[in-house]
Amino acid sequence: MTTLGITINGQVHAPTEVRDDLSMNDYLREYLGMTGTKFGCGAAQCLSCAVIVDEPDGSCHTSPTCVVSAASFHGKTIRTVEGHARNGELSPLQKAFITHFSFQCGYCTAGFLNEGQVLLERLEKTPVPRAGLEELIAEALDGHLCRCTGYIKYHEAVRDVVLGDAKRYLLAEARG
Amino acid sequence: MKPATRLKGLVIVATLATSMIAAYAAGQAPSKGLASPESFNGIADTNARSAAIFTELGKVLTNPRCTNCHPAGDRPRQGDAMRLHEPPVTRGADGHGVAAMRCDSCHKAAKFDPGRMPGHPEWHLAPLEMAWEGKTVAEICAQISDPARNGGRKVEDLIDHIGKDTLVGWAWHPGFGRTPAPGTQDQAGALVAAWVKSGAACPAGR
Amino acid sequence: MQSSRREFMKWMSAGGIALSMSRLAMAEPVAFADRETLPGRGKYNPAVGAAGRVDGVAKVTGSKLYASDFRAADLPGWPGKTSHALLVRAPDATRVYLGMDLARLGGPAKPTVVVTSTDLAKINARVPAFYAGDLFCPVGKTPIYMGQPVALLIFDQFDAYDRARLLLRDNTFVQYGEETGPVDLPNYAAYRFTRVAGATTDAPDLYSPLLAGWLSPGRVQPSSLPVWSSLTERTDPVYAKAAVYGDKIRSEITAGADTDFVLDRTFDTQSVDPMFLEPESGIGWYEAKTKALELVLGVQSPYEASEAIAFLLGEAKAPFKPAAINTGFAYVGGGFGGRDHTPFILYATLAAMFYPDHPVRLAHDRYQQFQGGIKRHAVKMRSLMSVDRATGKIKAFAADHVLDGGGLCNFSPNVATCCATAAIGIYDVPKVDVTTVAQHTRGVTAGSMRGYGSLQSMTALEVLIDEAATELKIDPIDFRRRNALRPDGRTMTGNPYIVSVRTPEMLDKLEKHAIWQQRAAEKARAASGVLVGTGVACVTKDYGTGGDCSNGRVELSPDGRIAIYCDHVEMGNGIGTALANRVAQHLGGIADEVAVSQVGVFDALELVTSGDSYTMDQKTQDKAQRDPRWVPAISSATSASIGAHVGTHAAAEAARAIFRFGLWPAALSLWGITRRDPRAKDWDKAQWTDGQLTMAGLPPLRLAKLAATAHARNLVTGAVAHGFSRWSWSRARFPVDGEQYRAEIDGLALRRGAGAFARINRSSVVFPPTDNNRMGTAYTSMCGTVVRVEIDKATGALRIAKAYTVSECGQALVPEVVLGQIHGGFAMGVGYALLETLPPFEGGPGNGQWNLGQYLVARGSDLPLRDAEFEILPPATPDEAPKGMAEVVMIPIVPALLNAINDAIGHRFPALPVTQAMLKGALA
Repeated sequence: MTTLGITINGQVHAPTEVRDDLSMNDYLREYLGMTGTKFGCGAAQCLSCAVIVDEPDGSCHTSPTCVVSAASFHGKTIRTVEGHARNGELSPLQKAFITHFSFQCGYCTAGFLNEGQVLLERLEKTPVPRAGLEELIAEALDGHLCRCTGYIKYHEAVRDVVLGDAKRYLLAEARG
Repeated sequence: MKPATRLKGLVIVATLATSMIAAYAAGQAPSKGLASPESFNGIADTNARSAAIFTELGKVLTNPRCTNCHPAGDRPRQGDAMRLHEPPVTRGADGHGVAAMRCDSCHKAAKFDPGRMPGHPEWHLAPLEMAWEGKTVAEICAQISDPARNGGRKVEDLIDHIGKDTLVGWAWHPGFGRTPAPGTQDQAGALVAAWVKSGAACPAGR
Repeated sequence: MQSSRREFMKWMSAGGIALSMSRLAMAEPVAFADRETLPGRGKYNPAVGAAGRVDGVAKVTGSKLYASDFRAADLPGWPGKTSHALLVRAPDATRVYLGMDLARLGGPAKPTVVVTSTDLAKINARVPAFYAGDLFCPVGKTPIYMGQPVALLIFDQFDAYDRARLLLRDNTFVQYGEETGPVDLPNYAAYRFTRVAGATTDAPDLYSPLLAGWLSPGRVQPSSLPVWSSLTERTDPVYAKAAVYGDKIRSEITAGADTDFVLDRTFDTQSVDPMFLEPESGIGWYEAKTKALELVLGVQSPYEASEAIAFLLGEAKAPFKPAAINTGFAYVGGGFGGRDHTPFILYATLAAMFYPDHPVRLAHDRYQQFQGGIKRHAVKMRSLMSVDRATGKIKAFAADHVLDGGGLCNFSPNVATCCATAAIGIYDVPKVDVTTVAQHTRGVTAGSMRGYGSLQSMTALEVLIDEAATELKIDPIDFRRRNALRPDGRTMTGNPYIVSVRTPEMLDKLEKHAIWQQRAAEKARAASGVLVGTGVACVTKDYGTGGDCSNGRVELSPDGRIAIYCDHVEMGNGIGTALANRVAQHLGGIADEVAVSQVGVFDALELVTSGDSYTMDQKTQDKAQRDPRWVPAISSATSASIGAHVGTHAAAEAARAIFRFGLWPAALSLWGITRRDPRAKDWDKAQWTDGQLTMAGLPPLRLAKLAATAHARNLVTGAVAHGFSRWSWSRARFPVDGEQYRAEIDGLALRRGAGAFARINRSSVVFPPTDNNRMGTAYTSMCGTVVRVEIDKATGALRIAKAYTVSECGQALVPEVVLGQIHGGFAMGVGYALLETLPPFEGGPGNGQWNLGQYLVARGSDLPLRDAEFEILPPATPDEAPKGMAEVVMIPIVPALLNAINDAIGHRFPALPVTQAMLKGALA
């Protein structure tokens, strides 16, 4: 047994004892009932189970939850699909996923949302020239599997959010 | 409904597993050993003995546990079948992956056996110049001995890299579904030490 | 289509068990039905203004929606704690099963309950005919297929379950004895489709399945293969006639080889997994005191699942026979056919029954889903084709198909017939003879999957056509044009299509596209070390099954809000949004409550059924239909390709009835138009514009105003409708408000004001004739693809450089979803052609060790995401009805890729998939 204390979507979960071989995915889904984070393959292949990990230095990245222990998240701060909207207001990426019809069955959506959000926040810190954007989107989303819609509409949605607020995410053309 | 009574009177016959099952069971079984350095004492010629020791060590170096992360390109391989790594990760600038997919996103500080996931705090790819994938033991030996092609390492450095490094040590305890590298890390380290001590000669041929 | 399925059970009472899908207590926090009704009253609805899907917000916020999301604590009224079950499957089907090494599961990993075949026998559980075969392999028998379950282990606590599943994963828990080899069982179905056209295209056929019926040879060799030959003794004379025609066609092809161009080729396709992203799961709770079984499941066939579960327990001994079963059907995380008639539901049910008073969850992980989930049929095909060298016209075609059906019959007969009847694709061939057999093997059960046999046979065909065109030095598109079936021409079963057939337009589009036009130039300018090739294919695919049902209920509130209930399932295909849009055409507003996967909310129709709609004769149907409540079938499974056409039909008809007898008379009264005024019959001229009903010269009326008026005047404010299609919809008349209302439905109930729904006895009905069962299909939609590939000579790496897909689907109810289906079909086709494959037996998924990573599906980097163009043709006529399109769109990319590969490297691969390693090998 190991102690696990974690902050999820801003909510602090007081330290509890968990089995060492409990996966983070089961911790979220079976212990906390937070099933927005999906279970797809259990092998870090589809990444429908990915969550956002916020590091103390302000950076963030995604992590699958199915192949990692819950205990390894002790002391971490994470965000899940349930935490993107604020006071009922959807995030720009959530809105873009809807207006672009990015998903069909929706089972991969949480993973794409988290990955796309991490990319946006990375671009905000480190903008890139427009010319480099497509490769970054492709690279960021390539770990995620979608079986329904063939990816195009996810890519379009992320691209649209970036281009819709180009000042925030892209280097000015002159500099780029 | 009680399981204890369920099989009463049933004779359980243990039978030989099919090859398919054996392959998976092998992931758990102790692997074939490595010959000790002493067992090469019968070879009088020092160079030949040194080369023979390296050939024995070659069983480790050409094992999927090693070659998968010493790939010839930017993408590692995985599993006993040495498939290309999925999801499609690449080495990135520092061998730890690209910004969107770092090795440590999945490979945490320790392996997580329930998820069949290897782990180590420094999980990363060997540098490209140390690519072993697809190479013969002789080729690996030539490469490993050449500072111009091994990142400026001395052969002595290999004693610790193979014999002591904890990332390398994972190869002997890879977890469920993966066959461990042959022998033990100590035995492999001893072979490297003996090889270096005997002049670090390489096997002939390609 | 003939079918071996069908349990004859009455609607509300199966085996004395009351079946329902009642709404759960509304006082509870969030009832299951409320979670599944989207977007929810008063909530933001992206479907308004076509800005998204009705389920859009739920899906981007991680709402509990899928069966796998629900635990006991999420279900109002249930006990709070969830127990967990583990389905143990046999990884080998060549040796005798001896039992489990339960001793391994001691202490904290000990199961609370173990369920085996002995227990099922004890309680007298029955296996529904569709799933015939032991639910659990009995000790002492060799499993009939790899992955056959041997036991359910039920764990009171999650932690025990979690520990146990790790202890079991090395495949030594299930113990075996003597080697027996695989179990031999008879084949699942064998048919011969033979057609000989008349001397001219207008002359009647000399012989066809439509004229003679669908025929089976009856005789079987020891290997379970049928004896097809016409020379066999003791053959049924009806079959013998087909065999004589068929054998003659074959001998003519062979004999003509000196003068005609003749191809004799084999093509093999592989087994694949639907790889829907949500593994199958379900949760159930059986309360001993009330004998009520509550279930939450996710399937494409809710009605069938309810029937099957009721049958399973219908004769069970006390206390294993529930008095009532209440099943909630959830949104599904992908289906692609693999959740249509899945045996998984039976195990989820048993898990609940064997641990009464405890909610029990059964969920596959991905290894188990590969091991136990429905697969696509691998098919071995041999094709013979003769072409007149002078005219470039196909003279005759013959083929033999052998399908690997795996361990259980499931939909094998249907897939086999669909594979066979799709064998000549878009072409007009005067002489056709195709045999098909689906065999039992020890592989994992194969069943329904997107493309459903057509994918396999049309891939083989389009590759064959390409080879013929190339060898005859006829442009491949010109060759297709010369041989294309005319819109009024007959299919190989002898019937014409009854929908638009747009081959010429499709071929023109493909021919004019830059990828095709520039194929020689691109090949010439290939970079060194790279081989470039372009390929084309054009296919047509049926939608519907010849026994499709549609149930719809629409309610309009006094403030103009619309609620829709439908029996079809949201598997991502946008059925909820399509329903909202189609109903809006009649009611002028987008629903804010759409509930799919419903089975119990249509009870007001009081429908009854009997017999098998696929096999019944006309006399029986004529007699049965005298009962005004009788229909040939009540509810059918959902596939993506019938969502638009079938799934939305009844709801649209219900909405039409509300308009005619609710909103229209309300409008007349608001406009002050009397019933005698000729304008009172001008309902067809009224139009909805921005939520207002408009008529020339009259003030526009808002929906809310009309709804309030309809309620106030006790006009029709709600309707329930049922439709049945056997390649055409049933039609009936209903006496309503003093007139005979005609509609393409066979059951109708109406609600007036805030009253209750009341069934309207139909005064006459026309069901589609039973002879329609001899058609292969009458509904079809088309799709064509042209693709350019670049292949690295050294590594065999293939890159799709450019692609263009053109598709047609009549009226697109939700164009963005149609486009998304085309994108997704393309991706799935690329995976099928280049990546996905499962070994059929040992070493295959039945061993329980398969997962993604080893099994490759197309990722973004495998696809030309920014170099692909997708076009949807506008409807053939402005009023063309929606056509199913979600299956056909995955087909043409497969042969187009193979044809492009041949164009690039000069090699035709006779099997799928074509992997990088195989390309490298061919280039070496």
